[in-house]
Amino acid sequence: MPSVLAYHRPTSLVEAGELLKDVNRWALGGGTIVVPEARKHREVGIEVVDLQGLGLDQISNEEGVMRIGSMVRLSDLVANTAAPELVRNAARRELPSALRNAATIGGTVAEAESESLLVAALLVHEAEVRLHDQPSLSLDQYLTGERDGLVTAITVKTAGRGAISSTGRTPADVPIVAAVALSTGGVTRLALTGVGATPSLVDPVDPLANLDPPEDFRGTSEYRRHLAKVLSARAVLAAAGGESNA
Amino acid sequence: MNITLTLNGQETQLEVEPFETLLAALRSHGMVSVRYGSDTGETGASAVLVDGRLVNTDCMLAAQADGHEVMTLEALNQAEMHPIQAAFVATGALQSGYSAPAMILGTLALLKDNPSPSEFQVRDMLSGILDRETAYVKPVEAILRAATLMRGENPEPFQTMIVDPLTDGKSPAEVDPNDRPPQAPPAIPRIVPSDDVPDMSVVGKAEIKVDAIKLVKGNPAFTDDFEARGQLVAKVLRSPHAHANIVDIDDSAAVALPGVHAVIHYKNLPRIKYASGGQSWPNPHPYDQVSFDNKVRHVGDRVAAVAAETLDIAEEALRLIRVDYEVLPAVFDELDAIADGAPIIHDEADTEGIHNRDRNIVVHIGAQRGDVEDRLAQAEHVYEQTFRVHQVQPCPIENHISVAWLDSDERLVVRTATQVPFHVRRMLAPVVGMEIKNIRVIKPRIGGGFGAKQEMLIEDIVAHLAIKTRRPVKLELTREEEFMSSRTRHPQTITYTTGVDADGNLLAQDMRLIGNTGPFGTHASTVQTVAGLRGLTSYNAKSKRFDCDVAYANIPVPGAYRGYGAPQAEFALEAHMEDIAHDLDRDPIEFKRQNWVKVGDELDIAPHLGERAVAEGEMDEYPKVMTSGIDECVAQGQRSIGWHRRNDPSWTSPSDRPNIRRGLGFAFCMHGTSIPFLDMGGCSIKLNDDGSFNMLIGATDLGTGADTVIGQIAAEVLGVPLDDIKVYSSDTDITPFDTGAYASSTTYISGTAAKLAAEKVRKRIKERAAMLLDVEVPCTIELRDKKAWSADGRSVTLEEIALDSLHWQDQEQIMDTASYVSPDCPPPFAAQFAEIEVDIETGEVTVVKLVMAVDCGVAINPVTASGQVEGGMMQALGYAHCEEYALDEEGRMVNAKLGPYKIYRADEMPDTEVFLVQTMEDSGPFGAKAVAEIPKDGVAPALRNAIRNATGVGINDLPFTPERVWQALDGSGAVSPDPT
Repeated sequence: MPSVLAYHRPTSLVEAGELLKDVNRWALGGGTIVVPEARKHREVGIEVVDLQGLGLDQISNEEGVMRIGSMVRLSDLVANTAAPELVRNAARRELPSALRNAATIGGTVAEAESESLLVAALLVHEAEVRLHDQPSLSLDQYLTGERDGLVTAITVKTAGRGAISSTGRTPADVPIVAAVALSTGGVTRLALTGVGATPSLVDPVDPLANLDPPEDFRGTSEYRRHLAKVLSARAVLAAAGGESNA
Repeated sequence: MNITLTLNGQETQLEVEPFETLLAALRSHGMVSVRYGSDTGETGASAVLVDGRLVNTDCMLAAQADGHEVMTLEALNQAEMHPIQAAFVATGALQSGYSAPAMILGTLALLKDNPSPSEFQVRDMLSGILDRETAYVKPVEAILRAATLMRGENPEPFQTMIVDPLTDGKSPAEVDPNDRPPQAPPAIPRIVPSDDVPDMSVVGKAEIKVDAIKLVKGNPAFTDDFEARGQLVAKVLRSPHAHANIVDIDDSAAVALPGVHAVIHYKNLPRIKYASGGQSWPNPHPYDQVSFDNKVRHVGDRVAAVAAETLDIAEEALRLIRVDYEVLPAVFDELDAIADGAPIIHDEADTEGIHNRDRNIVVHIGAQRGDVEDRLAQAEHVYEQTFRVHQVQPCPIENHISVAWLDSDERLVVRTATQVPFHVRRMLAPVVGMEIKNIRVIKPRIGGGFGAKQEMLIEDIVAHLAIKTRRPVKLELTREEEFMSSRTRHPQTITYTTGVDADGNLLAQDMRLIGNTGPFGTHASTVQTVAGLRGLTSYNAKSKRFDCDVAYANIPVPGAYRGYGAPQAEFALEAHMEDIAHDLDRDPIEFKRQNWVKVGDELDIAPHLGERAVAEGEMDEYPKVMTSGIDECVAQGQRSIGWHRRNDPSWTSPSDRPNIRRGLGFAFCMHGTSIPFLDMGGCSIKLNDDGSFNMLIGATDLGTGADTVIGQIAAEVLGVPLDDIKVYSSDTDITPFDTGAYASSTTYISGTAAKLAAEKVRKRIKERAAMLLDVEVPCTIELRDKKAWSADGRSVTLEEIALDSLHWQDQEQIMDTASYVSPDCPPPFAAQFAEIEVDIETGEVTVVKLVMAVDCGVAINPVTASGQVEGGMMQALGYAHCEEYALDEEGRMVNAKLGPYKIYRADEMPDTEVFLVQTMEDSGPFGAKAVAEIPKDGVAPALRNAIRNATGVGINDLPFTPERVWQALDGSGAVSPDPT
């Protein structure tokens, strides 16, 4: 059976929502995640629902809140000078150029890979996930839930000074662990990558609380905990106005 | 489904399947500049512009492009090159050129938005296009020059920079810390000239590559770019188990699937034993492979193959094959594999020549000079250290690909991405049951090889299927298959024991090596032999011993990889020597210099190792080092890297960055040039009507520039510009034999063959010119500027000579052939330097700068030579720093994808600087020695020694990934060797 049995390009959210009620239909953003993944599903075959015709690629900015359509490409986010510096920087570091030109913020959030800097940056910017035909969720709630709705936009509060501290094998490597901090009016928010199933918000005062990182060939659980401690301290300090490396 | 897109400005309708990628749709529509490298966008080779943005077409459905504008490189195909293409050609940015179309399109998009990009922006654009060849040095320069050209400015011509020598060429010199090297963009080759090298017309010049047009325009040139009518697609079913017997295979459902033409496996193919390593006849034993076995020995091993109408049908057919496995215990580490009770990996009765089957020892290698035990007993100091080196992959961006068909005479033709077309023809014949005369192997342009393609890896599969189906059959490996089933660098455990006298002279050096050749012995004997050779040749110990066992294990198959045993050995050796120097309180370079081989020194263990090894008593005279520019290399490198800073605490421990330590490291590098008495290359040259020449060579250009360099050698002899030499290479029906592209041999061996052939042709041209000029002694005639000149200044053009000889009087075809095999193996030398930073809290190592100064004799083409060094250093950097095979407990590779398997991108490369230090090697063509592999030898030990300089901790395992370094720092790992 071919991997992709049918291609749909709905022209309205209602149509898209109806199509996606079938669990064998996958929402298709840029294709960078879905197209390779679909090949692994030859046993059943899937259908794809391309969201490019829904006008979800707009960015708007109002009263300190930026609304980023789910089909906005990461490269557009990087290029948007009104977007928070931390989000732009994280979006640039998320993927190399040609992938960044295709990958969407909606796909990145729906996938929520453990090591996603962009998801961590969105978390500290108090992102909310707007869903079709469902109430909005905080990104934090969305990540810990089923992640099954059709994401239409992500909103973020734009204020704050951000910083990323990370450790990787090389400068542009996907960090083994990264600490992403944002300081807003004396309040610091901190998120970690590489220590759980998805990036997650942690207590800036005690970032290791309840942390039990899964290990892989790039880092044991013990090492990831160590990095979480060192990098959290650095990121929090930098966001607070010390040495910034965002 | 039907889609409509604007393709290169033309509204185009395409009939596509819902699952079809844009890559597949564009290629089947003839847009062959769009290249396959992966299925996930990880290589960027498939990138095109969609609505003006650079995006990967391998992870985009064709249907997504419906209604959009798509631009491929074919859009730029005019008679004149686009300025971007011109800049890529002028700067030597093209090696294999496989990913050049994506880079050029990316540049087009970048410069449209930003006519004056910064280097950061250029590198960011390139970040999505992986390059395994250039280290991005020359592509970055090309893009910056293209921007200049497109702004209407005239950049300086791209040419070499002459750097004044710092030594007299014979002895070391102190480098003044305040002396700064001359500045130029890093892509510019820095030549340190030698008075011994005469001025030449074509040799030594930055000539444009002879294959530049086809590469820069994305013209059909690679294996997959020509499609025969009725071509079938093959896919291979691979083992999910590291070690298992195949009890049964049921292919009935696959055979019955419409569109499937053949399914092959152990039950329907004859069992012909072979060794897959592409080596000279007779291939070293054991012959431990068959096309399809009833046993699998690594995850990814072949189980069956199908040929079908489409890739989709072939993949579906694989799913329908039922295999009954009896899973066996597996072993992965070389020390475990040779221990008592390990599972026996080759228990079959029909493999001969395994050294010790029951202990999984494929081959034992031993060699000795002098009495090591005696010398160790006399030594003032004895040091012993053990090093472990890991498994990595060449990762050519073009994966393995082969197409086979029966031609109209029903001979088998195989067009294949190979480094060894002649070996493949000879090795394939018995496996498919045909005579050599009925097989033709064609090597088109190749998208990088680096050793992985020194193998008969998949040619037998397409050949079997083409014979069975009588249709053309193509097989192209996926990136994941390239990781699981192609060839890798041998992991090794190396123990050095070295005895040193009271004055710091080496008395004895003993090297014990356990190599891991995985499930097959393809290059087991030869790679480990070279490790011994390289590991015991650099320094003048009075006695030496090499003792080596090579183990079978159930890991993906090691084989040839650029460097071929030397990177492993020289990592261990240069780390060991560094630590001895520290223990003796000696400057590492001075201690090494005291002991390293110099001009006139004997290369005394070399003849006792290798495919034509001789015993100690059989040698009348040992080969000697005839040229070495190492002292100049060291001085240039020291100045460039700022070597004096290494002992300055304010630099090594910057006060404003308390978690950072800085360090500088050095490694002495020595390699070989070809395999003496074994490597052979042939060349034939004929004169055409217009005074140009066709040159046929067996040599195998993989993107290295071999065709260009060999063409330059012939052009120099014949007194014509390079453009008058039309090079055709590597086609077993047409060109002379050549052993192939390996062992750093092509320039030296095939280049000398070309020089000899050109000299024969020149002799005949002079004789014909003498007739026309009425000169009595033809040898007084000289060829230059496309003319033959008499001593009294009269001339006749080569065209006139050609027309006369072909059409007018005493007609003849002026042509000749020569071949060359060398008794010598002159070593190139190099000084590798590295500057690094270590984050002592996290173990993260950042490589700031790499400098390599190389004595490769005379660089025939300094641009391609420096490109070889840049690319080689980048691969070596990956080996040292971040690349590694990660296998789970069942032997499955968990990071068989670029990214998780980390190779350097354009936007994270350290600064690089390359110096080509000339020496005049009289045994080489116009003074040349090898350059291709030596850049692989020094980065790992230089990094290791730099980390030691920064932190005081020497780490003896590769690679230097953050956790390994952190643990070494935290555990205060072995800082200095243990005196015993």
